[in-house]
Amino acid sequence: MTKYWRSLDELNNPVEFKQNEIKLELDAKRAVMKKASGSSRRDFLKTFGFSVAAAAVVASCKRPVDKAIPYLVKPEEVTPGMANYYASSYFEANEYCSVLVKVRDGRPIKIEGNDLSSVSQKGTSARVQASVLDLYDDARFKTPLKRGEATNWEEIDSYITKKLEQLNNDQKKVVLLTSSIISPTTKKVIASFQEKYPNVEWVKYDAVSASGILEANQQSFGTALIPDYRFERAKVIASFGADFLGTWLSSTEYTKGYAAGRRVLDKGDEMSRHYQFESGMTLTGSNADVRVPIKPSEEKTILTALYYQLMQAKGFMTIAAPDSPVDVKGLAEDLLANEGKSLVVSGSNDVNTQLIVNAINNLLGNYGSTILFDRPLNTHQAIDADFEKVISGLKNKEIAGVLCWGVNPVYNHPNGEEIKALISGAELSVSFSDRKDETTAACHWVCPAPHYLEAWNDAKPKKGVFSLSQPTISKLFDSRQVQETLLKWAGEEQPNYYEILKANWEENFSGLQSKYSDSRLFWNDTLQKGVFEAEPTAEVPVYSENGLENALQLGNSESQGWEIVLYQSVALKDGSSANNPWLQELPDPIAKISWDNFAAVPVKWAEENGVQNESVITINGIEMPVFVQPGQAPDTISVALGYGRETAGKVGDGIGKNMYALASIKNNAKQLWLSGADVKTTDKTYELALSQTHHSMEGRPIVRETNFDKWQLDPASGNEIRKEHLEHHVSLYPEQEFKGHHWAMAVDLGSCVGCGNCSISCQAENNVQVIGKEQVRNRRIMHWIRVDRYFSNDAENPDVYHQPVMCQHCDNAPCENVCPVSATPHSEEGLNQMAYNRCVGTKYCVNNCPYKVRRFNWFQYVQNPEFDYASNSDLGRMVLNPDVTVRSRGVVEKCSFCVQRIQEKKAEAKVAGRMLEDGEVQPACVQSCPANALVFGDLNDENSKINKLFKNERNYHLLEELHTLPSVGYLTKVRNKKA
Amino acid sequence: MREHFFWGGFMKKTQIFISLFAFVTCILLSTNLYADSSESVVTEGHSHEDVKRGERFFKGLLPFDREYSSCVSCHNLNRVDTLNWNPSAMDIAIKYVDKDFESFQASVMNPVGVKMEASHVNFDISEEDLKTVKIYLDNFAHTGVPPAKPTHYNLILFLFLGLLITWAVVELIFIRKIKLKFIPLIILLGAFGWQVKMIVTDAIKLGRQENYAPDQPIKFSHKVHAGENGIDCIYCHTTAEQSKSAGIPATNLCMNCHILIREGTNSGKFEIAKVVDAAENGHSIEWKRIHNLPDHVYFSHAVHVGSGKLDCMQCHGPVEEMDIMEQHSDLSMGWCVNCHRDTEVDFGNNGYYEHYVKLHEEMKSGAIDSVKAADIGANDCMRCHY
Repeated sequence: MTKYWRSLDELNNPVEFKQNEIKLELDAKRAVMKKASGSSRRDFLKTFGFSVAAAAVVASCKRPVDKAIPYLVKPEEVTPGMANYYASSYFEANEYCSVLVKVRDGRPIKIEGNDLSSVSQKGTSARVQASVLDLYDDARFKTPLKRGEATNWEEIDSYITKKLEQLNNDQKKVVLLTSSIISPTTKKVIASFQEKYPNVEWVKYDAVSASGILEANQQSFGTALIPDYRFERAKVIASFGADFLGTWLSSTEYTKGYAAGRRVLDKGDEMSRHYQFESGMTLTGSNADVRVPIKPSEEKTILTALYYQLMQAKGFMTIAAPDSPVDVKGLAEDLLANEGKSLVVSGSNDVNTQLIVNAINNLLGNYGSTILFDRPLNTHQAIDADFEKVISGLKNKEIAGVLCWGVNPVYNHPNGEEIKALISGAELSVSFSDRKDETTAACHWVCPAPHYLEAWNDAKPKKGVFSLSQPTISKLFDSRQVQETLLKWAGEEQPNYYEILKANWEENFSGLQSKYSDSRLFWNDTLQKGVFEAEPTAEVPVYSENGLENALQLGNSESQGWEIVLYQSVALKDGSSANNPWLQELPDPIAKISWDNFAAVPVKWAEENGVQNESVITINGIEMPVFVQPGQAPDTISVALGYGRETAGKVGDGIGKNMYALASIKNNAKQLWLSGADVKTTDKTYELALSQTHHSMEGRPIVRETNFDKWQLDPASGNEIRKEHLEHHVSLYPEQEFKGHHWAMAVDLGSCVGCGNCSISCQAENNVQVIGKEQVRNRRIMHWIRVDRYFSNDAENPDVYHQPVMCQHCDNAPCENVCPVSATPHSEEGLNQMAYNRCVGTKYCVNNCPYKVRRFNWFQYVQNPEFDYASNSDLGRMVLNPDVTVRSRGVVEKCSFCVQRIQEKKAEAKVAGRMLEDGEVQPACVQSCPANALVFGDLNDENSKINKLFKNERNYHLLEELHTLPSVGYLTKVRNKKA
Repeated sequence: MREHFFWGGFMKKTQIFISLFAFVTCILLSTNLYADSSESVVTEGHSHEDVKRGERFFKGLLPFDREYSSCVSCHNLNRVDTLNWNPSAMDIAIKYVDKDFESFQASVMNPVGVKMEASHVNFDISEEDLKTVKIYLDNFAHTGVPPAKPTHYNLILFLFLGLLITWAVVELIFIRKIKLKFIPLIILLGAFGWQVKMIVTDAIKLGRQENYAPDQPIKFSHKVHAGENGIDCIYCHTTAEQSKSAGIPATNLCMNCHILIREGTNSGKFEIAKVVDAAENGHSIEWKRIHNLPDHVYFSHAVHVGSGKLDCMQCHGPVEEMDIMEQHSDLSMGWCVNCHRDTEVDFGNNGYYEHYVKLHEEMKSGAIDSVKAADIGANDCMRCHY
């Protein structure tokens, strides 16, 4: 049997690992005991408690008077106690997602996926889920600022308008520096602003851009665009360093497609094969069938070799292929066997590498089948070279003013310090940021924009795909939409962006559809649905080999010494949401580390140099804690960007190190790797908050797997042991009967990519508290659904498994019968219930749960200055879901299958006098899963999806040998390795 | 660490004293809460004598030879348990504190409205006197209603029982004067038992507010609205059938009727004027919430009223007879659970229950004749607690 292991310690020395783990646990317990200090205090508390209780009781203390304040005039659409959902669009850090915002009594409290969108297709990412907390961030600006002091809009408007006019008259250039803007109406507003001030130049700058792809396509196709990658259509996917499931371009969309192309449930289902060439272990690499660790400098060489091999195989070329550091014959064969059904992508920002990728895709006939041009992606528009010109313009005083909107180059540009000085030295420097950041700190004027949940906007994430954003709460602070600000400065008296938006849509977009003749109806319909799609225009640009020859001959990057790969972490991406405690506490999907970035080093090197997890090394002088990463390519180190913010707010400040300093500008593009780095070991150590070894599964067949070819022969392959277990199951107790519903969930391990969206979605829905680094280190992370990650086989290049684990709602639950106060009984619908008000905190259930999904509130995490994250201020607590109890110290909590949602839908059905439909009830994790890996439903419904999945031969239960009869089923992991 | 030092070995000895101290402190604190009195605030240009004189006049001590009833005989100064339809002194004080004397005078001397015209008759009050009344009331608006002194019968009894216990213990161990040992023993056990009983009954009542009937900012009578005028509950509590909360009517809903009805049979114009004022000037009416479930309880009106078709009165009592709204049921968990055990589900007529195939079969075969709410899981913890 395959040996699965969770960390290298466990792989190499299982006995010692176990002992160590027990020792750690004991240490933690002792530390707690020490604090408790014997029985005298308890005796004291007993007597003290009695006296106080007795006195309080007989003096009959009164409950405080609660007030009930009704609306003066109730808005028609608001029903107190019931939520409204408004369609909106998320676009931050170059990530687009169409969302539904749950608004309860005037407060947005949860983001859901919008199933009408063809882009995000009801999926979200952890970052989208967490964006609702950004709305209630203490670091947001409460008023406009002038050199750090509060000011008002009148002063700002009069000063800046004058200044802009003066600069215009002096013919001095002003740069409007924005991130990619996908809003067509905003573009119009900017155009009219430029009309008024011809000296204003609009420059786009993205922290992590797609310059390479854009410029390569400019050469190959004559237009700088990002085509529509259709992963669901590909039979062979080859990715060179593109983390398309985690952070690359439109990852939620790609995850949907990727999972759809690999879902095997019924006979005849097909599955794609995924090759990943990369240095560090990314989320995408962890899902690959074939993963090849390479150095970043080798990427172009390998692609060149692949290109030559394909050319040869097709008979277009007879020159011998150049040597490749890794063997790509297998890949070439697979690609050739699936011409027109394959997809090659690269995450490189180097135009020459991308030109070769284009050539390969063209050779394989992928354009028009897996790569389409009818809906190019708009989310990445910046060309890195443009911003470099701004820097030199500022340096030689050609540019006198900078207006920064949604950009933070002081933090995320390698020359941040220099840019800081240049911006603060400019005649006019304005930031439109809604919260603190490094660039805003350098600007003289801050004109805060509202959060996207407070604002009107539109979006055109792809050509022909439109969507709207609408306010879901009135502005919390004195902010003003940037569009209105710009128009105000352009001389409009009372600019109203909503009116402009509506007019623009009625004028320009209502003509794109034929359903509504009245443009107002069209507007209302789109606003309700959130999205609108025009017919795609089928203009296929012609491929030309422009620049290819040059790219192939340019020679390959010199490789010397250490190569450092900078990547965007799945949780924080480019670091713009660093002040979001939910994201900070979300463990990295591979390393399972939260609250820090770290240097992922290769296993072999670590062993040879005596480096372990938490050792500190220096990379070009920057001290970084080490995580020994199985699968890390030799001579490479991966470090996440997005950390090390200095002015992000109380949560994000000083978390990790800023690695943008190591990025470089090569070929006019920001390259996120460097070679020849100076790496030194030190004697220091640094504590990392690993959630990885929280939950020991004791080496049992927790993840069951099979290969596609074996599955085709026998769908139950890899799951043979289930039969055995089922035969052995006997019980003295009668089987429990569920008269109405029997709720259950299925997790398709073949589809789950491990992105962590479910954890954050659950956190938002169920008021799960953030506990901070120290407590995560103490193994007390509160997430109700965690994603366990296992490695198997070779430590140098392991197979990786992701397994979401939540309460299994066992019908023979071990936790239930050890509770001394019956706080956790079984419900008539198969739910393992948790009554907080009854729990006395013995933690017997926690100890008796074989799945370790129960969480104990060791502290009061709400309104406690010790845990100053989101729940310590009235503002932060506005995000709490009023339908879910906020747990206090001393009680156990766990996944409830989102019972509040079950109850809500049941109540709706009861009132309407109808049966519940299959799929009507969706827990938070299921609703927005970007891989559709989770399915929830009623087992008593013969025709339900869940019933079919539970009968699928891939289905098994965790630790089913214990006969706990879980209500959560797992479908075996299927990979598609070459036989 | 500091804790460590403090909880040293001397704990046991001091334990009893600390407990005693805590006990006494708690009692003192709880009484002190009520005892804070406010200083009188004399508005500018008026002396303390004016206030005093006004007070005497209001209370009917002045003038001696009046032929009309005193102000206080209709407008109560303190909180009263029974319903007084007339505006209280505080109500009047608040209404006129920001208004000039003339409007006050006009309203007292030349009332409009049936109720006031009938009661404010033969008023022979000099302007001087009336001015002092206004000064007194203005002052009253600032000082507020003197808080009701809490009664501590329970506490006194509890302490007395404690004394008895102490005496009995001392008698039994040290004095030993009484020959019949069982007398102090019985007293000891009896007193202690009584104390425990007091604590237990009071502890069970903690957080429960049966018969809670606070003074509302407006003397809104359910009896007048639901009883005498027969308005359906749902007319005002509009969301009871769809939402978890029944909904307290928005002020604009009140104005549906009160746009025309400006004078009540009982309260005259005064109370309705508050609603009109709130609606016109955009104040919120801050009702005192009567039915307060703890935060960890989820209760849905929709399920009980919309689907369960329960009568509102079943939980809220004879609302149509209540001038002052009060909490009828104790809203305890036992009360909920018992009702779930006894209440039959409308099994045949609601399509939702088609999910319960087996129970339907049993019904058909006659194995069971009805399905109670508890049979389909109404008493599961996570029906209400999540």
